Amino acid sequence: MSGRRSRSRQSSGTSRISEDQINELIINLQQLLPELRDSRRSDKVSAARVLQDTCNYIRNLHREVDDLSERLSELLANTDTAQAALIRSLLTP
Amino acid sequence: MESISPARSSGYDQSRRKRKKKQPSPPPSSSSVQKWRSEKQQQIYSTNIIQSLRELRISAAAADPSAKLAPPRGGGRAVRDAAYRSLAVTARGRTLWSRAILSKAVKVKLKFRKQNRPRNSNPTTMVSITGSNRLRKRRATVLRLKAKGLPAVQSKVKLLGRLIPGCRKQPLPVVLEETTDYIVAMEMQIRALNAIISAVSSSSAPRTPTPGTGHDGEETHMLG
Repeated sequence: MSGRRSRSRQSSGTSRISEDQINELIINLQQLLPELRDSRRSDKVSAARVLQDTCNYIRNLHREVDDLSERLSELLANTDTAQAALIRSLLTP
Repeated sequence: MESISPARSSGYDQSRRKRKKKQPSPPPSSSSVQKWRSEKQQQIYSTNIIQSLRELRISAAAADPSAKLAPPRGGGRAVRDAAYRSLAVTARGRTLWSRAILSKAVKVKLKFRKQNRPRNSNPTTMVSITGSNRLRKRRATVLRLKAKGLPAVQSKVKLLGRLIPGCRKQPLPVVLEETTDYIVAMEMQIRALNAIISAVSSSSAPRTPTPGTGHDGEETHMLG
């Protein structure tokens, strides 16, 4: 019994990344999510919930980038002279 | 809601200070988040992506001299790949996902070009890119996670690892760090794409006095 305890203490001592650090990473993640950022019960949001919402959020972001790149390709296909104006407008501060 | 110059300069100084201190593993948390939200990063990214879009159009025009417009179906995918590649380049190779995106692009290029070249060149490039990944993996698998070894958390993190490029076999803390950076980078990418689209559409439409940043009240994007 005592051997097991000492072993567990050793492992937590030598581990580089502790449970607290993981909690902190998950809290950082929670701060990024728009839904959970302004949640009132910020202490009681479980890690699984944060991760699930993160998956959904990333899928939404992927979809949005796909939509935007479709629109951009259509725009670029239809307008030729817009390119010069675009580069000028974006590269001059 | 763009961050103004004080935030930009503080993020830049932070990265400089960290480099001088020579930390063994720079944690990509708050400093990288600030960096992706800065105006400067968005400008760098815009420059990169516009350059790659120009190359796209030139190659498309050269392939089809008769057709004046690029094919709309394939064009969207090409634009999206260019967007992700530019994003990975802007990340300057400090994160797993950016290196994975770039190595995927290199692999496709090599496969496309290679007919006679032996395949020995591929493993060497992969080793140089994933060398640091192997070190990370060994270090993190030694530890034992107690409560975070919950099957629910583990399965969700595996899902997350599949969504983010290059993180399929990574341990939990690595996936979490990569996710944080990836999300903020994607948000910047969406902001930049919106700005480009509004700039292109406003320049092609009849001239109306629009402000320089081109931030329309778009309803389609969820940010801001």
